[in-house]
Amino acid sequence: MLEKRDLLEQQTPLEQKKLIVSHAPFYHSGRRVTERSYHTMLAALPALLLGFYHYGMPAISVVCLSISTAIFWELAFNLVAKRTITIGDGNAALLGLLFAMLLPATTPWWAVITGTFIAVVVGKQIFGGIGSNAFNPVALAIAIMMVSYKELFDFDTALLNYDLEFATIYPLKAAKYFGTASLDSFNLVDLFLGRQLGGIGATFGLGLMLGGIYLMLRGFIRWEISLTFLAGVYLAAFVFNLFDPVRFAGPGIHLLTGYTLIGAFFLATEDSSSPVNIIPMLVYGAAGGIMVVLIRNIGAYVDGVVLAILVINLLSPLLDKIRPEALGKVM
Amino acid sequence: MFSKKESMLAYGLAVCLLVTGVVSYAAFPLKAPEEPLRIMFNVEAGKVLFDHKIHTVEEGYGLSCEDCHHELLDGESDEAQACGECHDPEEGDEEVPKRADAFHQQCAGCHEDYEAGPVEEECTLCHIL
Repeated sequence: MLEKRDLLEQQTPLEQKKLIVSHAPFYHSGRRVTERSYHTMLAALPALLLGFYHYGMPAISVVCLSISTAIFWELAFNLVAKRTITIGDGNAALLGLLFAMLLPATTPWWAVITGTFIAVVVGKQIFGGIGSNAFNPVALAIAIMMVSYKELFDFDTALLNYDLEFATIYPLKAAKYFGTASLDSFNLVDLFLGRQLGGIGATFGLGLMLGGIYLMLRGFIRWEISLTFLAGVYLAAFVFNLFDPVRFAGPGIHLLTGYTLIGAFFLATEDSSSPVNIIPMLVYGAAGGIMVVLIRNIGAYVDGVVLAILVINLLSPLLDKIRPEALGKVM
Repeated sequence: MFSKKESMLAYGLAVCLLVTGVVSYAAFPLKAPEEPLRIMFNVEAGKVLFDHKIHTVEEGYGLSCEDCHHELLDGESDEAQACGECHDPEEGDEEVPKRADAFHQQCAGCHEDYEAGPVEEECTLCHIL
């Protein structure tokens, strides 16, 4: 199958056959969901390790509890619903990890357990399990938790007792409430190297980018989504900043703070909630990026990444209507 | 559907991480430092984040405890007290002004004297509205 497709790509349009059907037996490429889940977790590791370095044992507690409870929720749902046990695919562990990476290190245990329940059971399993969820389960869980327990996501309050060697104010909040003058203590290199307050694994730009590039090279995520998402953030922030540089932060700040990078590489790219065709993927990513800046700059929330991702998840089936015209016609 | 190895990995991860998570939650909670680093005042006019450390360390503004904690100077207490212990958020009089007045007097007053930092007229420079 694969060889035939390669052959097809090398042919000029005139030489191409319109339809190729091969019959069984087919062979399996060897790729499994399990591999995909654990490799995504591996790609998230650099960003996570810096979070452990900054926030110590409390961060480790949150991540461990989140991964394990996510797996247990999936196991419990499988048993209650009398379905096949699916924890072997590693997807629940991945959801647990990504959920924890967005949380502040001091998140209480009950919030972690509630959040993983929302991600795994409400976000994924009730839709029918992996591949059937309309929304990114992690974004959904964070959004529900953020609306229900607003205080938990106030990074300034949550991380009050950390003595860190960089500016200890959440940059997006400073930008939103005190204007761009308050951002003088931040420089973009520091932000890129993770020297900022934020989620356990969401602040280390370099680590997230390396993880994202690894996932793109391995074909686990689509560059079309990540890059257009970031381009959307950049362009929208640039326009706002041009319009009022005192009130609205520049594109660099928007790209390197909050959940932007983890959203672009690890959340927006989740496969069942994102489009499958090229043009829809480009529109999906760009719409998400623009939405992020709109929510941050004129919306009520400090960081709009998870909400923007939920909105584009909702658009995804509609966007997939933009597709190549089918060959042939029905007589 | 999944190989034994894949299932065992998931069960192993779940159990090991649960034990690590529970133990580290129980054994290593984040302790608040004896001298506060930053304080978040949850007030009606909007939260205020006060960086206690930058006001006290030499590399910061180098204030001594007595500069703000006047009870040390007056000999009313041996240790610095939290402002809210005497200054009630709701009530106050001339002797002991209510918390908001005490803060405005203390913070904005000092800022004005030193011509540094936010002053009382500009609420949104301190309060997150």
